Amino acid sequence: MSIELIFQIAGIGILTSIFHTMLKQAGKEDIAFIATLAGVCICLLMVVQLIGELLIKVKSVFFLS
Amino acid sequence: MEILQVVGIGLIGAVLAVYVKERNKEIAVLVSMATGLIIFLFAVSKISAVLQVLQDLASLANVNMFYLTTILKIIGIAYVAEFGAQVCRDAGEGSIASKIEFSAKILVIVLALPIIVAILESILRLIP
Repeated sequence: MSIELIFQIAGIGILTSIFHTMLKQAGKEDIAFIATLAGVCICLLMVVQLIGELLIKVKSVFFLS
Repeated sequence: MEILQVVGIGLIGAVLAVYVKERNKEIAVLVSMATGLIIFLFAVSKISAVLQVLQDLASLANVNMFYLTTILKIIGIAYVAEFGAQVCRDAGEGSIASKIEFSAKILVIVLALPIIVAILESILRLIP
C-alpha cells in the first residue's frame, strides 16, 4: 500500500508543466517540449516497474505460466 | 480495515489525476494507472490467501487439479484483461480496450476447450 508513488508521479507532472510554461515564457519552445518529454519518461519508468511487479505477482498467484 | 486505505488511496489518486489532467494529459493517465496498480496489487495479495484455501479443499475432495488450475487461469486472465481494458478506456482509447477484451475472450475459450471435451466425452459414455 505504498502511496508515495502516486504523490511522486503527480509532483513530477506538476513540475514538468511549470517548467513547460516557464520555458515557453522565456521563448525556448523546443527545450520546453523536451523538458515535458523527460518528465513523462521518468513517470513512465516508475509505472512500468510497478506494472512488471504486478504482472509477476498475478502470474505466480493464478498459475499463468 | 483495509477497505478504508483502499478508498483513501483511490480518492487521492482520482483528485491528483484530475488536477494533473488539465496541465498535461500523459501524466494524468500515468497517475490513474499507478493508483489502479497499487490497489490491484493489494487485492491480488488477498486473493492468493483465498486460492490457497481453495486448493486445500480441492485436494481434500481429490478433485483433479487440472480443472482447478484451468479455472484459476481463466480468472487471472479475466482480472488482468479487465484491468488493462479499463485503463485504456480511461485514457480514451476505446478501440484498444475492446481489442484487449476480445483477445481475453479468445484466450478463455482456448483454455476452456479441454474441459468442454472432457464433459462431452463423459456424457457420451453415459448414453448407452
